Amino acid sequence: MRPLFVTWEYPPFKAGGIAAHCEDLATTLADQGHRPVVLTYGEEEETEFRDGVEIHRVPATDSASNTLSWAMHLGHQMEKKAIELYKEKEFDLVHAHDWMAVPGATGIKKTLDLPMVFTVHSTQKGRDGIDSDYQQTIHDLEWYGTYEASQVITVGREFSEEVKYNYELPEEKVNYIPNGVDLEKFDDHSNNLNRNNYALGHEQIILFVGRMYPQKGPGHLIEAMPHILEQRPDAKFVMCGSGATDHYRGLAKKQVGEKVHFPGYVPDEELISLMKEASMTVAPSVYEPFGIVPLESAACETPTVGSYTGGMKDTIVHEYTGLHTYPGDSGSIKDQVSRALNDPGWSDWLGDNARDRVEDNFRWEQITAWTTGIYTKALEE
Amino acid sequence: MKHVLLLSKQIKDGEPVSEYVKSLASYLNDEGLKVSIVSFDDGSYYSLDPEINVYRFPLNFDGSNIFNWSMMMNNELKGQVMENIDSDSIDVIHANDWTTVPAAVSLSKYLERPMFFTVHSTEQQRGFGTEQSEVISELEWQGVYEAEKVFANNEDTKNSLLFDLDAPGEKMKVIRPLTEAWESRILKTYREHVKLKEEV
Repeated sequence: MRPLFVTWEYPPFKAGGIAAHCEDLATTLADQGHRPVVLTYGEEEETEFRDGVEIHRVPATDSASNTLSWAMHLGHQMEKKAIELYKEKEFDLVHAHDWMAVPGATGIKKTLDLPMVFTVHSTQKGRDGIDSDYQQTIHDLEWYGTYEASQVITVGREFSEEVKYNYELPEEKVNYIPNGVDLEKFDDHSNNLNRNNYALGHEQIILFVGRMYPQKGPGHLIEAMPHILEQRPDAKFVMCGSGATDHYRGLAKKQVGEKVHFPGYVPDEELISLMKEASMTVAPSVYEPFGIVPLESAACETPTVGSYTGGMKDTIVHEYTGLHTYPGDSGSIKDQVSRALNDPGWSDWLGDNARDRVEDNFRWEQITAWTTGIYTKALEE
Repeated sequence: MKHVLLLSKQIKDGEPVSEYVKSLASYLNDEGLKVSIVSFDDGSYYSLDPEINVYRFPLNFDGSNIFNWSMMMNNELKGQVMENIDSDSIDVIHANDWTTVPAAVSLSKYLERPMFFTVHSTEQQRGFGTEQSEVISELEWQGVYEAEKVFANNEDTKNSLLFDLDAPGEKMKVIRPLTEAWESRILKTYREHVKLKEEV
């Protein structure tokens, strides 16, 4: 099969989780004998062949007044590229990833008369709400994508229900396929971490990984920090990620001073080392359609303390692979983090179980096979 | 040359761009050509010879501004052409104003047919007064760049295209609507280019 991926981000350019998802899916598709082609944004037009995947980057305008108009313009550029490529070799279908890909993917679908598959990674309603015309338009675009697609994929089981409800979709059109983890990336990793950059020798690292925005809940963890330190003075909080870092750093430093460290964006290799070194990962999100962090942490045999919300209801099994907390509840975070810290043997057992569960349920090979099943369904319609 | 595809944001009696498209379509039809008009359906009334095929479509997307709305409208426009018209029979694609440029460009590239572009006015002439003016102007530029020939409705529009969009003078023709033989000058231009393409 030769699917055409339409995504605004693809590694090495990454802003959120969509880039990594697309890369892992495309690479595994190529490993399984398919010929995926990726259309994505680039500062200039270029073509690259990497890990069996054909990647085409097209630039977008500098003149757009907002992201929405920028995405519309990028979509048109992508469509022109798709037409050019189609003349050399046809595609079987177009696979759009999130709302920013909808203008381009629907244009390609209409011009080239291809079936369309649409993966919804999150919704406008869940991210920021629908309080302005701008937000309403993004919501409408998400609806339009689900309307035009032959099949819709969602990355979370509970999230599937949200998508069906938000966009009034029939049951048979929506498919839940989780995200996966490339275990080789974690197993082949060589640990070169200079631990002293993050914590003192006797301190236990409690790791947060994610964008510094309210949706990811860093504020709730910060609120819990002094209470955790009362019980476990050897805890050290490491908060990795870009976004409103200065804001959260200011809040945290006021609460716990040197007991928290904000390294900002941390490259993948370093992050894996940190995950392997940490006593646990904390994912205090208030909205999380899927949430890849618990799975990556599990691949490192590190348990996650995460909110009982969205995808984390599936990716964490309470008291077996990690611990659940009530979303937005700092008291609950304090209780569960302290429980795990107070019983290191049990914590190691949780980490081992988490790793086993990822191996059994969240491998890209399996996820890719499910995805090609959806492609077949779309082609048969 | 047998079949002309005219693209318009709307088709509505009394609206200037629609009247231009209707007059041109009627003339081309009288000259024995097949004419297809594709436009968004805003529910307005229009009167036209029934021999002229008009495809109007609804759009299930409001958009927060005219640029976003137009971009999605263009996707539907392409869909209408590919679904309802024998696209292989199309000889010429004619866009009207920036609102139909994305569809005209895509169809022209996919079907490998020449594109013509009538600029009824430029964004600069309209005042360049909205947040979308820059991207709209960029689409006008793209239309000029991709078209075989650009028809400006008057000297002012031609000058705006030349000076504001750096359009090449040799691509430009001023054809003032409702003056004598204006439609025949457009048809002649189509024919010159289609013939040239065939010879190549």
